[in-house]
Amino acid sequence: MALLLPAAGGLGAAKAAPPDAELVQAQLIAEPAAVAAGSPFWVGVRLRVKDHWHIYWRNPGDSGEAPAITWQLPPGFAAGAIAWPVPQRIPVAHLANFGYEGETTLLIPLTPPGALDRGAPIDIKASVTWLVCETECVPGQADLSLSLPVAEPGAAATTNPQTAAAFDAARSALPQPAPWPARMEVEPDRLTLAVAAPGLRREAIRSAFFFPDAETLIEHAAPQQLSVTPDGLSLRLERSPLATADPTAAGGVLVVEEMLEGRPTRQAFELENVAIGGGRVPTAREATSLAAILQAAILALLGGAVLNLMPCVFPVLSIKVLALMEHAGGPGRAVRRHGFAYTGGVLLAFAALGAALIGARAAGAEVGWGFQLQSPLVVALLAYLLLTMGLSLSGVFHFGSSLQGVGQGLVRRPGLAGSFFAGLLAAIVATPCTAPFMGSAIGFALTQPAAVALAVILSLGLGLALPFLLLTLAPQLVSRLPRPGVWMERLRQLLAVPVYATVAWLMWVLSQQVGPAGLLAAVSGLVLVGAAVWSLGAAQGIGRRSRRMALGTLAASLAGIAIAFAGLARDQGASVGPQQAASAAGYEPFTQRRLDELRAAHRPVFVNLTAAWCITCLVNERAVLASDAVRHAFAAKNIGYLKGDWTNRNPEITRVLESHGRSGVPLYLLYAGGAEPVVLPQILTPSAVLAEIDRIPDAPERKASLSDPAKEQIR
Amino acid sequence: MSLVARRTLIAAGIGAAAVAAIDLAIAPTIAYPGPQARIGAPAPAFSLTDSNGKTVSLADFKGKTVVLEWTNHECPYVRKHYGGNNMQALQKKWTAQGVVWLTLVSSAPGTQGFVSGDEANKLTAERGASPTAVLFDPSGDTGRAYGAHTTPHMYVITGDGKLVYMGGIDDKPTTRLEDLKTAKNFVDAALSELAQGKPVSVTTSRPYGCSIKYSS
Repeated sequence: MALLLPAAGGLGAAKAAPPDAELVQAQLIAEPAAVAAGSPFWVGVRLRVKDHWHIYWRNPGDSGEAPAITWQLPPGFAAGAIAWPVPQRIPVAHLANFGYEGETTLLIPLTPPGALDRGAPIDIKASVTWLVCETECVPGQADLSLSLPVAEPGAAATTNPQTAAAFDAARSALPQPAPWPARMEVEPDRLTLAVAAPGLRREAIRSAFFFPDAETLIEHAAPQQLSVTPDGLSLRLERSPLATADPTAAGGVLVVEEMLEGRPTRQAFELENVAIGGGRVPTAREATSLAAILQAAILALLGGAVLNLMPCVFPVLSIKVLALMEHAGGPGRAVRRHGFAYTGGVLLAFAALGAALIGARAAGAEVGWGFQLQSPLVVALLAYLLLTMGLSLSGVFHFGSSLQGVGQGLVRRPGLAGSFFAGLLAAIVATPCTAPFMGSAIGFALTQPAAVALAVILSLGLGLALPFLLLTLAPQLVSRLPRPGVWMERLRQLLAVPVYATVAWLMWVLSQQVGPAGLLAAVSGLVLVGAAVWSLGAAQGIGRRSRRMALGTLAASLAGIAIAFAGLARDQGASVGPQQAASAAGYEPFTQRRLDELRAAHRPVFVNLTAAWCITCLVNERAVLASDAVRHAFAAKNIGYLKGDWTNRNPEITRVLESHGRSGVPLYLLYAGGAEPVVLPQILTPSAVLAEIDRIPDAPERKASLSDPAKEQIR
Repeated sequence: MSLVARRTLIAAGIGAAAVAAIDLAIAPTIAYPGPQARIGAPAPAFSLTDSNGKTVSLADFKGKTVVLEWTNHECPYVRKHYGGNNMQALQKKWTAQGVVWLTLVSSAPGTQGFVSGDEANKLTAERGASPTAVLFDPSGDTGRAYGAHTTPHMYVITGDGKLVYMGGIDDKPTTRLEDLKTAKNFVDAALSELAQGKPVSVTTSRPYGCSIKYSS
């Protein structure tokens, strides 16, 4: 296929270079079996290079020359730019080249005219020139051609099964568009490329290398000094002495090697619009104005107020309101103090959670809001706490003054400490419910400097505390509350039911985080909590000796809980996970790789990022995503359904959340062909989802022609 | 519960503060011994043996404009410029006007482009070339000091020893002979400007060609 090139130049070679045909084999391939009028399609120039020899990238580095293609196309046809695969760095003595060894396919889009004569085949001719080097270099050239029939009008274009694998491989070798903004800081001797990719785990990143498009931007062979911060990564680059003026463009390909699940994984990103700037490198953090911070804070405040109605918070709040009624007759000042104590508890909890979250992220952990529920120990602890609360509401025991010293039941304690701890508890159990209202505000907060992030998180806390605080600040409201009576006792017992339901839910969450042994340990803990609470109740109002026995039972129960806890801790991560049931349920587990594959095959993709502890997510799934109408729509449009489970820590999902400015689930993305997905609202309705699906065109011819039949069959 | 909760919170706070304090830069600073050649700065000095066994130094040519041409006669890009009589014409034109033209070979012994003095003189005669001298830099030290990457790779030095041009010979980075006709020759332009007492307008360009076969 490749043709010999007569040696250029006037002087006979002292050493005979190997004949060109042995060095590079060139071939022109097309993706479709036939050309449809007006439908762009891909062709590829496949170059097979002899072992140890290499050809060059669009910027060849310190020497060499990129391959060039001159097209000879039928009238009305247009060839697009070459899509270059990710290059390799090829060191030569103290210099560096950028290029390819082995087999490389350059992809080129061709656009036929709107009308084609069915009689004549389409002849595509390409004259390809290249330089191939080992240490010595040989220029080469080949005249390649290809003839394709014209597809019947209206018939769906079909891919050529013989070339499908080659195009698949070629696409997987391309860099992906970078999801982050990048900036090039210019100094006299140095350039700093800053990529605002927050949340990278610095311990996982093994290396990063920037391949610049421009040939005179950097010293190609110089080391590139990498630093990874919570804001992203930056590379310090030596400026090329060949550039006399400051650069005006700084695009290129960034290759990052990361350890994912113990394997080094190479990811390449096309950085197209790199902003050029002097001075300090602005990151996503600094790009935000005071107005944006204020907006996030107000949003957080409102979201916090709405949280009071969420199933996680309502029982806690209702207990507090009941307690308030008991004080209703008291002086206004005392009632106000309870309001402040409660608010203090809420704020402290949010501050602590916020600080822990920001700190963990600063250390490189990929965690998001609600992260505390990713720990089974915290989930079990919450369940025990809520069971104790529920049993107390049911009247199994009452907190009397005689047992205050035990430190139990502070929620119901009449003192200010009781109000304070009610606030703490409300905040802790509320966090998983924050996502639907708070996703974007918290996501924004976490990209901000720590102080701003904390301020937004505290606004959320203040919002949560606000209704109760207002109630205590306005004594006339309190006085309007009904007087305590027998009805209150009944209401209290009734409110125990949602609390028990919450315990049941937490156990279900736990069942997805630990194995059966861990779950048994956790449930045994619940039984022991029951025993402990019963003995507390029994100890009330009986003789000293009996009380000692009851306290003994209590101590034994607590010790049992501790042992159960240890068992639970050991069983962490033994969960088989919900993924196994995935294929049967019509979805595949989410991985970035699978998403890329489906998108490369031009399939529309629906991504659902969820967690067992996210109630909103579960409601959306049951009520909307699992509904027949939505499932049928998915099937009709051949939509790939990827479900990412964030119940346990999953850095890959955290990265996707962050790239959409979120820090928690749910997140629903619909990739419909464009580069950017449609982000669906966090509270789904069937009509909203169906409307978005309706906008996806019915498998158009062009898309069909560009897809890979092998992939289609997976569905 | 309260004690547990309180301790957890305190522990979380301390933990967060501790991890936030960790320095996050991960790579140590690496010194990169880059080339010394810079536009407007004194050109790096050298003292090399020529094809006739004589020692030639840059300092010998004080007061004269000096052109440095890195070469490897087997490189397809060098062949283009000699095959098209482009390089020889340029040498003739400017040496006739008193410019010193030094052709340098930095190929390590045994690599492509490495020649003996006799072979170099034979090549000069065969090709009708007229450099002032052909110099050998088998250690590659001079090439590295100038940051010479490719063959050809061109440098222009003024009479007072300042570097005023470095880079490619022209703006057509190909091996095609026909491109010589339409190429803008940067070396010719720089020498013309110097001859007219003007500052050099294009001081750098991308050097193109084969990599120099340095000793590693």
